[in-house]
Amino acid sequence: MSARRGLTLGDLVLLAVLAVVLGFLYWALVQLWGALQLAMGPFGDLAQHVLAGGWMVAAPLATYIVRKPLVGIVVEILAAFVEVVFLASPVGPMLLVVGLVQGAGAELPFALTRYRRYGWGVFVASGVSAALASVVMGTIRFGWLQQDWFAWRLGLTLVSSVLLCGLLARVLGDALARTGVLDNTALGRARRAAARPGAPAHDEVPVA
Amino acid sequence: MTSCSPARFGRALAHDSVLHRRNPTVKLVVLLAVSSALLVPVDVATPTLVGLLLVPAAALAGRLPARTLATACAAFAPFAASLLAVNAVTRDGDVLARVAGLEVTRTGLVVGTSLAIRTLVVGALAVVFTATTDGPRLMTSLHQHARLPARVTYAILAGYRVLEGLPEAWTTIRRAQAVRDPSRRRGAPLPRDPASLARAAFALLVGALRQGERLSVTLQLRGLGAGPRTVLRPVPLAAADAALALVALGACGLALLASWRAGWLLTWSTLGSSSP
Repeated sequence: MSARRGLTLGDLVLLAVLAVVLGFLYWALVQLWGALQLAMGPFGDLAQHVLAGGWMVAAPLATYIVRKPLVGIVVEILAAFVEVVFLASPVGPMLLVVGLVQGAGAELPFALTRYRRYGWGVFVASGVSAALASVVMGTIRFGWLQQDWFAWRLGLTLVSSVLLCGLLARVLGDALARTGVLDNTALGRARRAAARPGAPAHDEVPVA
Repeated sequence: MTSCSPARFGRALAHDSVLHRRNPTVKLVVLLAVSSALLVPVDVATPTLVGLLLVPAAALAGRLPARTLATACAAFAPFAASLLAVNAVTRDGDVLARVAGLEVTRTGLVVGTSLAIRTLVVGALAVVFTATTDGPRLMTSLHQHARLPARVTYAILAGYRVLEGLPEAWTTIRRAQAVRDPSRRRGAPLPRDPASLARAAFALLVGALRQGERLSVTLQLRGLGAGPRTVLRPVPLAAADAALALVALGACGLALLASWRAGWLLTWSTLGSSSP
């Protein structure tokens, strides 16, 4: 079953649900965040980078669970779509492009390991590359390069992305897997296979 | 989380209007085009002009009460204000004032105000879009007119079903977790510390994933997503939709052109040269 490369309906529904729940939580967070951002004045815009990684956690999390190409990009675009179409984001449909870029950034390290390695190092790399993609995108949209605080923006986004995007994705994925809701996914199968060494899972295709 | 009635996620306002009847795909494409065009200018006049032309027209065509629009836009105000504040103090240019050791520059004020207005204009148009567009109708239209594959359409619709139940599920989980806390007094407000919010968020995610798996099994059992399907309530695509696109994009284009001819238009590349 895992030999099938394309995304199945089951995969897509899982991605849509992840996108919807995370989109809803972001939306709730923004409602709380607004007042705080206003209170911080000029530093409010800088402080958003502290949470920047959290906006991108869907991509490495989905890739960890489904383990197929393009999953990170698809889930980020779906999350952006949900925010634009159902929750009315002030960023507007440009968020779809942001989702594409951030998803691609977060997924790149997994693609480089051909979706076979899910150690902590790959998740850190995913956070770093997501941060770089995100900063490049912000530079184009808001002209950050001509501002004074570019190094701060880059540094905060990097730290935040490694912690809240890369490492949190693995922690969250493992915690979700322990509850049993991911038993029918690639992550659940991999965990079962790892729990019984020597006996490969019946649906694993041996690699020559 | 109480600012917006949660049951309304992705549901159009109940009344009928010119915008309600337009094709959702066309509306989405117009919104995308206008917000992309607004990425170019960083002066104050251009986004203001586009906003003055499009936002009242859109609100009128959607018969959106001014109060609804204002309340929804108030949610974007902090984001806009913080864009203004950060740009005012972090850009090079003529120093106008010093506030708490930070230099407020003319260029900074111009760019900041422009980005803030852009946020409000795009936000207001997005609000008009969501207030006049039904989620399921949009998905049907995207499937029909934008050739969105059936599997993706059904997956997003399943996600939409989950989204509709999320506010209620969130409240239920928060109350259930609070009621199990032995140290809690009767009638005390729900705890707002990060740990209890994170616990509730995790439970919400688990419940939603479980619901999603049931939904996808049901969809597969009924053969949905396995091949081409007919559509129950097809969404029409008519000449009026072309007229909407022409008028909206024409107005946006005219505003950009007028601003350029009047010498108001500034972009990231002309920003430095025009304000030494």
